[in-house]
Amino acid sequence: MSTRGESTRELRSALSELRLVVRQVGYEQLSFWLNPVGAIFTVGFSLLFLVMLGASAGSSRISYMHNIRLVQYYVPGFIAYGVMSASFNNLAISLVIRRETGLLKRLRLSPLPTWTLLTSILLSTLLIAFAQVVLMLAVGRWAFGVQLPSGASDIVALVVVLALGGLSFAALGSAMSTLIPNQQAAGPLTSTVFFVLLFLSGLWFPLKSGSTLAKISTFFPIRHFITAVLTAFEHPGDSAWAGHDLLIVVIWGAVGAAIALRRFQWAPQHT
Amino acid sequence: MPAVIVRGLVKSYGPLRAVDRVSFEVDAGEVFALLGPNGAGKTTTIEILEGFRNRDAGEVRVLGIDPGDRGSGRRLRSQLGVVLQELAVEPFLSVRQVLERNAGYYPAPRRVGEVIELIGLAEKADAKVKTLSGGQQRRLDVGLGIVGNPALLFLDEPTTGLDPAGRRTSWELVRRLAGEGTTVILTTHYMEEAEALADQVAIIASGKIVAHGPPASLGGRDRGAATIRFQLPDDVTPADLPLAVDGDGRSVELRTDRELEALYELTKWALEHEVRVTGLTVSRYTLEDVYLQLTGADADRFQSDPALKAPIRG
Ligand SMILES: Nc1ncnc2c1ncn2[C@@H]1O[C@H](COP(=O)(O)OP(=O)(O)O)[C@@H](O)[C@H]1O
Ligand SMILES: [Mg+2]
Repeated sequence: MSTRGESTRELRSALSELRLVVRQVGYEQLSFWLNPVGAIFTVGFSLLFLVMLGASAGSSRISYMHNIRLVQYYVPGFIAYGVMSASFNNLAISLVIRRETGLLKRLRLSPLPTWTLLTSILLSTLLIAFAQVVLMLAVGRWAFGVQLPSGASDIVALVVVLALGGLSFAALGSAMSTLIPNQQAAGPLTSTVFFVLLFLSGLWFPLKSGSTLAKISTFFPIRHFITAVLTAFEHPGDSAWAGHDLLIVVIWGAVGAAIALRRFQWAPQHT
Repeated sequence: MPAVIVRGLVKSYGPLRAVDRVSFEVDAGEVFALLGPNGAGKTTTIEILEGFRNRDAGEVRVLGIDPGDRGSGRRLRSQLGVVLQELAVEPFLSVRQVLERNAGYYPAPRRVGEVIELIGLAEKADAKVKTLSGGQQRRLDVGLGIVGNPALLFLDEPTTGLDPAGRRTSWELVRRLAGEGTTVILTTHYMEEAEALADQVAIIASGKIVAHGPPASLGGRDRGAATIRFQLPDDVTPADLPLAVDGDGRSVELRTDRELEALYELTKWALEHEVRVTGLTVSRYTLEDVYLQLTGADADRFQSDPALKAPIRG
């Protein structure tokens, strides 16, 4: 009897916390979209990139990659970019701003459970990444005639890769935020790290295997993530899963999560 | 049971003892002010009470809960209202949206409309937070502190940086909340504020409580240490007086903690000898005198004056 009463109560409190998460995600989104200029540029930047590069060079073919059209590479490439910029770049900057303006501290002092708050921030970040993915899939399909993953297994692969990649880069973004001393440094520092790594990972062109850049890029997670997304799109005959690449991304994510959890600060640092 | 009990609280940042064996109690329904200069340890103390910071030593109970105990954190926080020293409000939501969001965190919140009235932002209810003036944002900040209908409200320097009108409004709000039975702990470095609002004041300097009591008797200023000043006519010297006084020539003063008797003797003597005493005043320490002397450079001299020894409660 009492155990059933207890488990009902636990279930009810779990449900009410879940409702809190949904509600909080709603307010996160509201707050994001009520700043339309910020929102449009955040969501539209990756799309703008894709459209510009796709329109200018998209139809040349890549000899060292099954001779596919370049835009066939750009769509998965910029989908990966969009997910990374939302979950690494934007999350890191937004966490620093929230920390330094006292918003994190204030929420920490409210009865909103910590896990609820952090989960909501994470989910909201992934939602914004997801919006970009959908936009780029649509533009890739309708404007550039790119072949999208169609079979059920390819779609599952794409969704899982994007979700795991989003979570891993969000963990890295949170870790990054703990290394940034103040609000003014947040944008420049994060963007510098991000774009240097993007360059080293050859976002703008597929890397030739054996080149120096290709060797450097194997160390960082970005190249592996792009490869994992690309594989869900382009895999003549083979599996849609780039398991090895995905594993490396997730390992980086785990390292990021460990750093973030160790170093996370709620109060402004003002340094 | 007191709403807050603090005994022997200690907190250090590295070699700096920011809070040094602080003890006090706050009764339910009371307004308690922690008064002290910048860096005295006010924020550190109340952040420990809020459960935001860990303490190094001492005993703390807030609404019967140990704020250092993570397990009871949520139960404690749902009964607390907190207004941080530094403004923290979302820029892009409207006043109403921010308040509605936060109201949803609490088990029994106040009506949002009522909060908006209380903080005097009815005209701005649907304006984005970033379009509010600094003073209005501060009031919203206070609104976020009370939207959960807290039993205990912490206000860390709620009026620093406000103009006199804004300060009045905040004072009214604190009085009103106190009238409704909310226990309030506020920090301030304005003497008038502590005097106007608080039932109990603790003066804190360099992490130590140096005086504690109701503002009217703080630092013993209701007892003793009255100063009687007056001028004597040319033909009378201080030596002719029935009392020992300081001062040479015509202007004299005397310090006493029995001013009634002293005045009686003085006036009786003056009337009997037909001496025209002029410019007679009786003054005692203002809270500002007490404060400056307890927290300022001449604190040592002041504290060594036994007539002014602070009654430390708790
Ligand atoms: N996080 C911190 N790390 C190191 N020192 C701190 C920290 N917070 C406060 N201090 C120091 O502790 C002392 C008390 O600070 P605080 O409690 O903020 O005082 P108040 O609120 O009375 O101005 C000050 O000397 C301050 O510099
Ligand atoms: Mg302070």
